[in-house]
Parts: sequence; C-alpha cells; structure tokens
Amino acid sequence: MRLGVLVSDFRNVDDTLSRLKADKLGLILVGNGVYLAAVKESGKPSQVLGMSPDIYALTEDLQTRGFSDADVDKRVKTITYDGLVDLIFNDYEKVIWI
Amino acid sequence: MATKKLAFIVRSMPYKTEASRLALTHAIASQTVEIYLEDGDMVEPVVAFMGDGVLNCLKNQNAMGMYGVTSIEQHLKNSLLLDLKVLICKEDVERFGLSESSLIMDAEDIGGETKATIVPFSEIQQEMETSNHLLFF
Repeated sequence: MRLGVLVSDFRNVDDTLSRLKADKLGLILVGNGVYLAAVKESGKPSQVLGMSPDIYALTEDLQTRGFSDADVDKRVKTITYDGLVDLIFNDYEKVIWI
Repeated sequence: MATKKLAFIVRSMPYKTEASRLALTHAIASQTVEIYLEDGDMVEPVVAFMGDGVLNCLKNQNAMGMYGVTSIEQHLKNSLLLDLKVLICKEDVERFGLSESSLIMDAEDIGGETKATIVPFSEIQQEMETSNHLLFF
C-alpha cells in the first residue's frame, strides 16, 4: 500500500505515525503540522522527520506562520497546493488525515 | 474607583483554532466594557504567551497573502498599538530556540510605542495571581 498521511498537528502525532505500516509512507505536513519541519524543540528536530524518507511541508502554511524554506529541515521537501494535488493523485493509493 | 485586571494567557498555537486570535481580540475589546462596570472603574488587560503559544509571536506571518485572513502578527501589533501589556515566556522562547529578533516585539511600523517583553514564567505567574479574572486560550 502506498499511503499518504496529512499531518496537521504539532503534538501527539508520533504514536499514530509509528504504528502505520506501508510500502511507501509519505508524510505531508500541513496546518500546524508544519512546525514539525521548522521548529527545533530543546535544540532537537522532531522525531517525526525520521519516520519516512518522503516528507513534505506545505509552503502556504509555512509562510502563513512566518517561516521561509530556509527554516525547514533538509529532510523535508516544500510543496505548494499544486504539488500537494499532484502527490495525492500520482504518488499515493490512499490518503488519510491525522 | 477600582481597576479590574484581566489576564489573557495564550498557550494555543495559531491558525488551526481561533483561540489565540480570540485572546487578542478579546483583550483589545476588554478596554471598551465600561458599560458593565461601576462609574470610574477601569479595565487593565495583560496578554501573556506561554508554552506552544509563543509561536504566535513569530515575525513575517503571511496569512493575508496566503489565505486572505488577518495574521496573528497583525492582531498582536494592534494590541501593542493600543498599549496592551504583552509578555512572552522566556523559558518557552528558549525551548523553541527562538531569538528576540525573530519575534514581534513592537508595532513601530504602524505607529505603536509599547513593546512586548520576554519575561521568566515567574512574572507571568505573578500577573495571574494579581489579576481579577484569568482567561486561558
């Protein structure tokens, strides 16, 4: 299964994400989920960033919150809404929102 | 004649919910509630950001450009323009590795003179203890 997961929270997502199994797991950070890509708490990046090689963050939501691409962890690719639509239609069979 | 002190404590992140926006708009509006008070009574609001709420104070928010909604940054600057006391928790600023230069500390660009201050949580605690009403968002 190729599973895309839209993550819209900063807190309490690790537990659910760590249980998900997929041949290809993509994490798409939107809303407050983009803080996972741009904020280091106590100097450490979020553990979520190590849960998949395919992690994306929505540019519109980064910029809304005062971040630029330069603030984003190197493991994360930034995408616009157009890119998000492409991901959903081309890369993943199923998409869930947590 | 007495002063009623209201403490608006913001611990929610911006945008996903309206909580932090409501805190700021309520704090601004609280100065106009004299119709509910005795003659001569005053209202003194204080806004404090703590925990995840300090992320509301990041500069360069472009909510208007992206989604056509007023940014929390603009609400915060309006609060400073109206001389509200704004406190930001030092421990949480440090926990997120933020610098003062990355935070909204003033509203000079819209003519405000009051500045926000980064303070230890003990000062926010003190504000809570000395307030007549405590509102958490």
